[in-house]
Amino acid sequence: MIQPDAPVTRIGPATGWTPLALREMWERREVLYLLVWRDIKLRYRHTRVGALWALLQPLLSMLMLSLFGRIVGVKSHGLPYPLFAASGLVPWIYFTHALTQASNSLVQNEVLLTKTYFPRIMLPMAAVVSGAADFLVAALLLPFLMLYYHIPPSAHIVALPLFMLLALITALSAGLWLAALNIEYRDLTNALPFLTQLLFFLTPLAYPASMIPPPWRMFAGVNPLTGLVEGFRWALFGGGSPNLLLDVGLSLASVSILLTSGVVVFQRKEERFAEIV
Amino acid sequence: MSDMSALAIHVRELGKRFQLEPGRRAHERLEHLLRSPARLWKQRPAAAATWVLRDVSFDLHPSEIVALVGCNGSGKSVLLKIISRVMKPTEGNVTIRGRVASILDVGTGFHPDLTGRENLFLSGVILGMKRVEVARAFDEIVAFAEVEKYLDIPVKRYSSGMKMRLALAVCAQFERDVVLLDEVLAVADEGFQRRYIARVAQVASEGCAVLMVSHDAQAVERLCARAILLDGGRIAANGPSREVFDRYHGLLSAAE
Repeated sequence: MIQPDAPVTRIGPATGWTPLALREMWERREVLYLLVWRDIKLRYRHTRVGALWALLQPLLSMLMLSLFGRIVGVKSHGLPYPLFAASGLVPWIYFTHALTQASNSLVQNEVLLTKTYFPRIMLPMAAVVSGAADFLVAALLLPFLMLYYHIPPSAHIVALPLFMLLALITALSAGLWLAALNIEYRDLTNALPFLTQLLFFLTPLAYPASMIPPPWRMFAGVNPLTGLVEGFRWALFGGGSPNLLLDVGLSLASVSILLTSGVVVFQRKEERFAEIV
Repeated sequence: MSDMSALAIHVRELGKRFQLEPGRRAHERLEHLLRSPARLWKQRPAAAATWVLRDVSFDLHPSEIVALVGCNGSGKSVLLKIISRVMKPTEGNVTIRGRVASILDVGTGFHPDLTGRENLFLSGVILGMKRVEVARAFDEIVAFAEVEKYLDIPVKRYSSGMKMRLALAVCAQFERDVVLLDEVLAVADEGFQRRYIARVAQVASEGCAVLMVSHDAQAVERLCARAILLDGGRIAANGPSREVFDRYHGLLSAAE
């Protein structure tokens, strides 16, 4: 029998706006757990070295970048260049991977969109969170390199998890935008690699932020990844430029705007996902 | 109108309008977007539109099993999708009392590289169960599907029959007040259909309201006292299933 206290669901016409159902997200949180678990479980299926790839990716990128750095002769805050590069590449590789996965999350889970109901925002969330497992594995590269180069960690290292969290939120914020638009404009799937490549050059990954000419320095800070990468390096090695506080502040501000607008756009588009996909 | 609080599902004047895509190619859409970026925010302009569902009103009481019939494109699946919250209606509303299990597809969320056991949990949770509920019903589901021996191998190694039985067995575990079924039985063999129908009858006798789509009159007619016939998005008949199925067969032969 239906209990007198049974939940009542009311379904009304589309209004062009779906409020973010935080309570429902909490009630259905197991969907998020299982989507994350599925993605992690399937990430390295049919590979020989499995999760070792998470470590190999930043390592191989570091070697390539080091070759480039050696040829061009980039300064690196007095750090050995490979270590400098790796400290930027670890959050960068996570960011691009998570962003790509989040951006494809709705399109790839078409069946779930058209056959079941749960808060849709969980799909990009799951994409970003499951990538974090790789992020943790990739970060293991850094202590090995630091041992190798005899560079002790700074006391700021306690702040590192916060910057990892910032990387996650940044990826989610941009991912919400791209996921919602990707359903209607699959062009994004093709454009995204170029966007991330552009971002790679705009972000002080291969070069220190101090190399950016002063008039452009301010703009670099608006890119949320600048504060992220600079903050990541500060947490690992200490020191840091006098601009650090400004960079991190700007980064937090732009991520807040990106996240809020991303949620709004996503919820605005949500009620049509199942029809368009 | 009957007492609302006694109803399991209450559907009033439901309508769904689809905008027909003007068939523009991707680069034209992009060009269109770049010319007026406000489209990112705005809903699509009212292009050619068609009502796939209109003026649909009906009620379902607890313990009732109602068949939803109609030709292809009559709006059955859209109706179930709206009641399942996959899509929003254009007009009208639905009120549901109690927890809902909606099975719109066989094997929702199944992944071929995961084992039978893993898929049961994944699919169960996506369909609205809690992990503990799946765990509690686990042995029963597995026995129902008759796949005990193959639980720990990837589903891609299953025969299509096994995969289907496992998927359907998840759908048979509904400790819910309202169950929505879209033609899930079409793929099952006869023996399984019989057991599945017995299971639906059992949950209904315990108070659950069931709304099920079916093309197969024989399998469903005995189970459902009442049936609803959709034609062109409108309710053409709503009454004793024998009469409704007769109307439906009339429609089918008229179409031929």
